[in-house]
Amino acid sequence: MFELMRSIRIDAEHGRASGLASIPADHPLFADHFPGRSLLPGSLILELAAQVAGPLAEEFVKTQLEIERWAILGMVRDARFLQPVFLPVSLEITAAISRSQSSSINANVMVTVNGERVMQAELVMMMLESSTEWADAIEARNARLARWKEAS
Amino acid sequence: MSARDTSAEVATLVRQTLALSETEPIETQQLFFYDLGFTSMDLLDLLFRIEQHFQIEIPEGTIYRLARSDLAEAEFAEDAVLTEAGRQRLMTLLYDTPAELFPARIHATTLPRFCTVGAITRLVDHKLAEKHV
Repeated sequence: MFELMRSIRIDAEHGRASGLASIPADHPLFADHFPGRSLLPGSLILELAAQVAGPLAEEFVKTQLEIERWAILGMVRDARFLQPVFLPVSLEITAAISRSQSSSINANVMVTVNGERVMQAELVMMMLESSTEWADAIEARNARLARWKEAS
Repeated sequence: MSARDTSAEVATLVRQTLALSETEPIETQQLFFYDLGFTSMDLLDLLFRIEQHFQIEIPEGTIYRLARSDLAEAEFAEDAVLTEAGRQRLMTLLYDTPAELFPARIHATTLPRFCTVGAITRLVDHKLAEKHV
């Protein structure tokens, strides 16, 4: 669901990032969730938050720890879904690193809609070393991220 | 804080990590990976809970550094695999883990796998003592 992200801004030096996601009401994914009243699933809100926290974690370890790793969502801690999110909607997502190790990065994420907080959680991004099988995925990731950064 | 209190508090955090009932017995000699069915993510979750509960920091590589102690890095491990001297140091640190569980070749990233609940409790006591110095 990378197509839902619109832009991202990363401040690796301070371990912070923000992003915007835009979700239309007529996306086929939500046709039965729910008919006539499209509601963004909590799991997708978490995924969109991870799409901000992941690149932040990757750039953070690259600049601060001087290692190249790729972020995979490993654990969700203390998640709170504070309000239902009806579609269409624009989400503002922020992520701030709270703990860093070479093998994992913790980020506190917060999602707001029109300034109202709708979700908060701590995401643990597992930082993996890449292998040759990842080449296509990394190339796609780099192109995607460049596009999101340009839009911010 | 007494060692007995720490032990009980760590046991509670272990139960919370595994979503076990409060009456589930957790013993100091139990091994996380062998006896309690921990995964690496469970261990990470437990460490986060311990850090938050005791207000201490247990950074990556803590077991490695404690086992190595004053031994030179090159004498402790080669290419991220423990030397025999390193293996002996680890076995001394984790003295309540059955010796037969330590393979001849131990990768440096796998050290927490050999910990008992008691070993982690000792680590917490060690960190608490450091904190209060």
